[in-house]
Amino acid sequence: MSLARFLLKRTLQGLFVIWGVVTVVFGLRFISPGDPANVLLPPDVSEGTRQQVVAELGLDKPLYVQYVDYIAGLLTGDMGMSLVTRTDASGRILGKLPATLELAVAATVVAVVIAVPLGVVSATRRHQPADYGATVFSLAGISTPNFWLGIMLIIVLAVQLNLFPTSRRPVGIDDAFAHLVAFQFGLAWSELTTWLWHVTLPAITLGTYFTALITRLTRSGMLEELGQGYVRAARAKGLPETLVRYKHALRNTLIPIITVVGLQLGTLIGGAVITEAVFNWPGLGTLIINGIQARDWPVVQGSIIVIGVGFVVLNILVDALYAYVNPQVTYD
Amino acid sequence: MSRDTGSPVGRRRFLKMAGGTAAAVSLAGCGSDGEGGDGDGGGTDDGNDSDGGDEGDEMQEEFEVRITQGQMPSGLDPHDHRETPTDVVMLHAYEGVLSRDAQGAVVEKLATEYERVEDGHVRFSVREDVQFHNGDDLTPEDVAYSINRIVQEDVGFASPQRDQLAGVTGAEAADDERAVDVMSDGLNPVVFQEFATYCDVMQQSWVEDRSKDDVGKEMNGTGPFVLEDYSEDEEVVMSRNEDYWRDPADVSDLTFTAAEEASTRVNQLLNEETDVVVNVPPQEVGRIQGDDVTRIAAAPSTRVIYNAMRYDVEPFDSQEFRQAMNYAVDLESIVSNVLDGFGERTGQPTLDGFVGYNSDVDPYPYDPEQAEQLVEESGYAGAEIELHTPVGRYLKDLEIAQAVAGFIDELDNVSASVNQRDFGALVDELLTGNIEDKSPPTARSPATATRRWTG
Repeated sequence: MSLARFLLKRTLQGLFVIWGVVTVVFGLRFISPGDPANVLLPPDVSEGTRQQVVAELGLDKPLYVQYVDYIAGLLTGDMGMSLVTRTDASGRILGKLPATLELAVAATVVAVVIAVPLGVVSATRRHQPADYGATVFSLAGISTPNFWLGIMLIIVLAVQLNLFPTSRRPVGIDDAFAHLVAFQFGLAWSELTTWLWHVTLPAITLGTYFTALITRLTRSGMLEELGQGYVRAARAKGLPETLVRYKHALRNTLIPIITVVGLQLGTLIGGAVITEAVFNWPGLGTLIINGIQARDWPVVQGSIIVIGVGFVVLNILVDALYAYVNPQVTYD
Repeated sequence: MSRDTGSPVGRRRFLKMAGGTAAAVSLAGCGSDGEGGDGDGGGTDDGNDSDGGDEGDEMQEEFEVRITQGQMPSGLDPHDHRETPTDVVMLHAYEGVLSRDAQGAVVEKLATEYERVEDGHVRFSVREDVQFHNGDDLTPEDVAYSINRIVQEDVGFASPQRDQLAGVTGAEAADDERAVDVMSDGLNPVVFQEFATYCDVMQQSWVEDRSKDDVGKEMNGTGPFVLEDYSEDEEVVMSRNEDYWRDPADVSDLTFTAAEEASTRVNQLLNEETDVVVNVPPQEVGRIQGDDVTRIAAAPSTRVIYNAMRYDVEPFDSQEFRQAMNYAVDLESIVSNVLDGFGERTGQPTLDGFVGYNSDVDPYPYDPEQAEQLVEESGYAGAEIELHTPVGRYLKDLEIAQAVAGFIDELDNVSASVNQRDFGALVDELLTGNIEDKSPPTARSPATATRRWTG
């Protein structure tokens, strides 16, 4: 099967998945407690005003009409109107997407940059202090709740030592890029450093679990590869150990890691909710929390759908990439 | 002021210069706009008493302030919200015909006089020397339009503030006089109190030239600050209105941001990333007091936290049982241990200074023996009761509920437990009357309040 056909097939499957997500998310709204009008309006508001607001929000229409309207809207990119701000929900959601993507990618970079070398060192120095150190680090990383880690990093590195800001995202990487494209190098550099300064702690917080996971994966993968016959053959024919480890063994180890990194990126996008709340990072997570509290269903639904679409797209890309980097895997 | 702004004025100096008004900045407009009070802009004259005039003059040049609330405004349409965080932002750019002074008394704002002409008819004389931010003069027609935009759906929309102007049916500019006649559906004894809190004045032509969406993203009021930039969900940036009809504010640049987590707000304050934070929970107060460049200012609130009992169901249909619940709870202990002293006991739903307050009614004393005796007299000894509470909706709501249930549970003849509820679901049940699957309550107001304390 050609790559194009593979992508087409997976895209069609993905569309069904997204439709399922849309339907489930839409249904959840109706089994969740809490009438949005009651949350939006004070308890002492008159029944007449309440009914007016309910009608204005379209909440008085039959369920199937609301569902069909919603699907039709989605097909045109319209996710409805935010019940809180009374503005376009898709605009609010897409406006938050860059912040979440930035954080997820930054966390992934932190994880890969730390985890892969650590995993390799751990595997090549098995049962030595470096290996034990890496194992303890992995265990601690996997066991540490990220909301606690985030608060600790803020208290120690931001409040006590004053090395980083406590929270916020005053500029985005897209701002720096826009200035770069406009040849405003000074501004671009200034915004890039400001962004890096602000994203460091949230990226470490979000990426720590992931770092630990990849470290363990790299270690076990390397150990497995180093025990393979081709490694023995390479050593037997006199290849330098560095070449054996990093050109042959590590290369093969990276194949499953790429898969995990890709899939995990999707998890990070959806799982940044707590980190965003702790660091006041204005992404989808913050939007979802606020949306749930305010029963702002169009925003919550839209955000979950965007995250779902992100998962599906990443899955397809990872599958395609996996088959590309591993010739043993075909597009069938 | 805050670190990100790169302002030359440090935190220590900020506190010194802002004097007593620093923490009141975000509350300006809510209650400190009395004649001469001049609290609109935050850091206005009355805040500089202790520091002499020189530093105050310096502030006139450049005084940047960043305020971090728990939530961003839901939009910038002053008539389309019912939330305090939105109101705080609105009241820096928009003004009403009346306001309240620091003592809570009704005072003139955009009105120079107000009078009751007859039952259902009041008149506001409109100030002459006022311009909107776009430079146009304020007219009585603008005031009348603003009132009608709230109370008449065909003029505006279904404003959530409609009920805050209860009884008001409409307004029109008076003939041959710079005044506005406001009509109500009969005698409206609280009409001036209503206008002291609600009905920000907007310019009719400015609103009509814009879509509803645009009105929610721009500002054109008469207030001390002019909107510079608005990023939905991120920040509202304002600058001083140099042409303000009163003295311009000392604060030159005012930025509102939000951080939902209270600890995040406090961290921002301690790290000098923001200048003022609101809604500091009691457990964070120590961190602020422990830092030599930050301080906390506690202001009395009118929020009354209470537990309600259904008087139409067992066992609360017994007066003795209800009294027993009151005697069983140690309010003093809750105020000091749960609220860290940031609260006061009250025995009634109306606070001192408000209409209806009865100074002869004191809170019940803590007397568990009396409570047990009353339970016996009620005939409901051995009753099991459940206290439904929202979580995180009000300050320490769950902790207070747990303490209350704990005190009641200590009685030998009653057991009590707490049921943590989603606020939306709880409100639904209160409104529809099916809480505990019992008969609906007669109104939205809880049947009988037992324990009340401010928080």
